[in-house]
Amino acid sequence: MPDFDWGVVWYAAPYLAQGAVVTLEISICALALGTLVGLVCGLLSVSDMAVPKAIVRGYVYFVRGTPALVQIFLVYFALPRIGFELSPFASGVVALAFNSGGFISEIVRAGLQSIDAGQTEASLSIGMTNRQSVLFILLPQSLRRITPPLTNEVITLVKSSSLLSVISITELTRSAQLIIAERFTPFELYAELAVFYLVVISVLAWFSEFVEKKLA
Amino acid sequence: MIRGLSKIFGDVPVVDRVDLAVTAGEIVMVIGPSGAGKSTLLRCVNRIEIPSEGSVLLDGIDMAGEYRGGRLIPDGPIATARKRRRIGMVFQRFNLFAHLSALDNVAIGPRRVLGMKLTEARALAAEQLARVRMSEHAPKRPAQLSGGQQQRVAIARAMAMRPMLMLFDEPTSALDPELVGEVLEVIRALAQEGMTMLVVTHEMQFAREVGTRVLFMDGGRMLEDATPAAFFRQPKHPRAREFLSRLHAPVAAA
Repeated sequence: MPDFDWGVVWYAAPYLAQGAVVTLEISICALALGTLVGLVCGLLSVSDMAVPKAIVRGYVYFVRGTPALVQIFLVYFALPRIGFELSPFASGVVALAFNSGGFISEIVRAGLQSIDAGQTEASLSIGMTNRQSVLFILLPQSLRRITPPLTNEVITLVKSSSLLSVISITELTRSAQLIIAERFTPFELYAELAVFYLVVISVLAWFSEFVEKKLA
Repeated sequence: MIRGLSKIFGDVPVVDRVDLAVTAGEIVMVIGPSGAGKSTLLRCVNRIEIPSEGSVLLDGIDMAGEYRGGRLIPDGPIATARKRRRIGMVFQRFNLFAHLSALDNVAIGPRRVLGMKLTEARALAAEQLARVRMSEHAPKRPAQLSGGQQQRVAIARAMAMRPMLMLFDEPTSALDPELVGEVLEVIRALAQEGMTMLVVTHEMQFAREVGTRVLFMDGGRMLEDATPAAFFRQPKHPRAREFLSRLHAPVAAA
């Protein structure tokens, strides 16, 4: 390949590695928070509590119906106006968790509802309440079914974190953009960036496969 | 005790004004063609299905709520769950909890619903599994068991809650023919111990031998209520006669 500047690729590697660490940090924090939010919302959406159910529906409606980029800007610029002063990193985590929480909620709901109705009937017949039935019978059985769509969501989350470059978080994508601005080598850097994302996401996918086998 | 019980889906009365008084120790066999409303009747008794009309009283307690000043105050979900403990149910498709071992399928009720300690609950479960002769399969998951074995575990699961009434909803209809016997034998043993039960079944031989009473249902109505001997010798209702004559092995001839 003519004119491919391998020098800048090696030069950029440590910076991108640093960015990758930030990407992972944000993703893991957002994933933990988003999973918690999603799990709670998913459980609420199969409960018989009308008000929390309606709130969850509204939340999911909003998350699905607006772009992640808009959600990120909203969290970054709107939260301070109503008194929540957050660092860019924390804003990024909150925005991504807010986004993925909505989708994970739907994944959890679908997983719970995919379990045969006979399981619910049997648990009710021995005197379990609806809540016990969901916690002790439906949830454990749906974990395995939830894992593959959850993996997709994790991958989406990692990719969405590239959007956080717009609120000046020096994660992986912004690390590359900074070097491009300095060296004017967009082709080399975006190619390298793609490889970095591939590696990060492959590791996550491999880990998820491992978890899925464990749950089998 | 069932009074004027109806279940209406859309505008079809699947169970139509059924009255039934069962005393302790009775073994009531409910028979009739498919779609007669037998299963729905059973499911209304423990409110897995909510009856459209009528009431179910167990030992004088209304399954739907509390009477205060002559008016019925409907139960909340927790009170309903509490009342369901006293009624065991065995399903056509077993419905064992797929993620739990046979032992834990039986133990989870005592553990989570009755609040026993795990070791106590498991000891009770082991005892119940022994009664249905499933001790050696205690650690297995439902998927590793035959249909007959699964159904026996399901019976143990219901019995572990020490119910005062057992409901059997076609307990052998999903089984291979050679596995039917082992399940019927377990039910027969429960009958001999004096367990009160309502059994929906297509096993006429079994109904005749084990039942103390036979109910014939068709089109949601209860058409006949007789002793097994009388019913199988000479059913009174023409629909019952027709039903029996259409069976392959007319036990009426036996």
